[in-house]
Amino acid sequence: MFIDFFYQLKTVGIPVSPTSFLTLQKALDMGLINSIDAFYTSARAILIKSERYFDVYDQVFAHRFQDAEMPEYEDLELDEVTRALLEGWLEDPVSLAAALEMDESDIIDLTPEELIEYFKKRLEDQKGRHEGGRTWIGTGGTSPVGHSGYHPEGMRVGGVSRNKSAVKVAMERRYKDYSRRGLLTQDMMGEALKRLRNMVPVGPKDRVNIDETIYQTMRNGGEIEIVFSRRLKDRIKVILAIDNGGWSMDQYIPVVQTLFDYARDQFKDLKTFFFHNTVYDFLWEDPARIKQPFKVEDFISFDPQTRLIMVGDGSMAPYELMAADGSIHVEERSGKPSIEQLKFLARTFPHCVWMNPVFSQIWSQTPTINTIQQIFPMFELTLDGLEGAVNHLMVK
Amino acid sequence: MENNTLNNKFSGASRYVLDDELASIVNVSMALEMPLLLKGEPGTGKTMLAHAIAESLNMPLIVLNVKSSMKLVDALYQYDTLTRLNDSRFGDSNRDVSNIEDYIKMGKIGQAFTSESRNVLLIDEIDKADTDFQDDMLDVLDQMEFDIIEIDKTITARFRPVIVITSNAKKDLSDPFLGRCNFHHIAFPDSEMMRKIIQVHFPDINSNLMESAVYTFYELRKIDAIEKKPATRELINWIRALKTDPDFSPDLLANGNIPFLGVLFKKSQDYKRAMGSTNRGGLF
Repeated sequence: MFIDFFYQLKTVGIPVSPTSFLTLQKALDMGLINSIDAFYTSARAILIKSERYFDVYDQVFAHRFQDAEMPEYEDLELDEVTRALLEGWLEDPVSLAAALEMDESDIIDLTPEELIEYFKKRLEDQKGRHEGGRTWIGTGGTSPVGHSGYHPEGMRVGGVSRNKSAVKVAMERRYKDYSRRGLLTQDMMGEALKRLRNMVPVGPKDRVNIDETIYQTMRNGGEIEIVFSRRLKDRIKVILAIDNGGWSMDQYIPVVQTLFDYARDQFKDLKTFFFHNTVYDFLWEDPARIKQPFKVEDFISFDPQTRLIMVGDGSMAPYELMAADGSIHVEERSGKPSIEQLKFLARTFPHCVWMNPVFSQIWSQTPTINTIQQIFPMFELTLDGLEGAVNHLMVK
Repeated sequence: MENNTLNNKFSGASRYVLDDELASIVNVSMALEMPLLLKGEPGTGKTMLAHAIAESLNMPLIVLNVKSSMKLVDALYQYDTLTRLNDSRFGDSNRDVSNIEDYIKMGKIGQAFTSESRNVLLIDEIDKADTDFQDDMLDVLDQMEFDIIEIDKTITARFRPVIVITSNAKKDLSDPFLGRCNFHHIAFPDSEMMRKIIQVHFPDINSNLMESAVYTFYELRKIDAIEKKPATRELINWIRALKTDPDFSPDLLANGNIPFLGVLFKKSQDYKRAMGSTNRGGLF
């Protein structure tokens, strides 16, 4: 029974084990499950072992029992943005039209479906025109469409639903915010912080633990047995370098900054720098990248044990990375191509990662991401990616 | 071990409001004799659930509070070597020094196994311990027995306890461990459920106070970028605080004047942020 349901869960990437499926069969045999609602909750409790898969489970369940459409994964990001555009449109059509530089009257008569198509097309156009950075959607968070990943309703896990069919409940997608597929948002702050809390160093086992030594010696009948425990180690230093140029990064900057700001206490030192697209001669300490330049070569004076975390989408024209005068800003043309500067940083700080808000599935489509990946270990800016990055940074 | 769980169903307790979803999961887990692993925001009643099950099924509750340095053997039994050494030197107790069994004390899991009746075993915040602890515990919970190596004796559970495990997900639990549990994530209650919960805790609360408190509470939860959002526990404490304040009236909340914010927001950054949002009047 329900074997295809089981395989559907497996296909979408939920780790379901045959043992748990047998347990579900046992529960069915025992007559514990006698309605579709009971099946929905019991199968979830037995098969799914983490809330991060609840959302996908809901979708598969709705698909299997209601023929709901399975969304294509690749479209996810675009859909979110489109939806945000649509919401922005409904709230304030005039300023949205202005932000998109289009004529309000052109689209005022469109049906919602046509409107979505229209937005999608505009977005596709835009993906090709990223370089200029400041002219399109999201001029530093002032436009209504800049924060597409942000949900004003807060954590969108609804409460407990009663008087609704299981399929309806499943279709509500209550566990969307726990799903690991999404990029980091303000609402995931708590979850993300838990991952970051693992960034504490452990010392070698070289301190004698007196209490344990006495206990073990007693157990040995007086034969001395010395037990060692871990030495306390100093907290680590972190350098955070954020790409804050261009609308593609706008929504992630506050998330990343708040995240590390909250975790500040656990670090000995936290420095934040900014760059645009990639690193040339300078990194900046001020977000506007004007007043406080910091020479890249001066990074050599920092403790090499410092953890370097780069945050950026790594997407740009190849010459920006490779050419000796690649910078789109005239004043920083020292003759060193950006790729050399990145390599220098990676050499200076052996513990470094690059966090990328672009989904890893499509990294291979962007040549510059591939190049940067060869220099920095790259992780998605998702809960999973953050976990991986923290693990990588803490490896000795 | 007789199977009396099917006709002995769990349906809530005097201080715990149960939703249907959770009730059916608890009942399925008891029938399948599998531990139930609960996750969820702190303060949504994970621990309370075990208390409620124990109360409604009329079973004793044994709580194992997991600590970060804990080893499994601490939860099973303890061999009190110091007392034995002391007894062997001074010999002024009734214990028999040559009998090691006299110096074995049962830990919480040991107590649950040796108890005279079926009980509820709550293993609280298992994620605090390292993965070794979880892996070691698997066999014990699977086989329902463990060995005391010092006296070469096997302790077998007389009655299979109802096991509830809670986790705050500080660390991920290991896959084999998860495989042996049923899992549920307690979602944050919606406002309708919340009113029921408050009714249970404050039977005589006036409806005006409850409505405005609940409304304000959900508005406060919407503030952005809060590390620890206030949960049910904070709301209950907050209402308790509001009720003791003679100067308080529910109208104050409607005007955005919120007393005792510190009861709701416990991290200083969260508190400042909440203060900022409410003072600006941007909240409502």
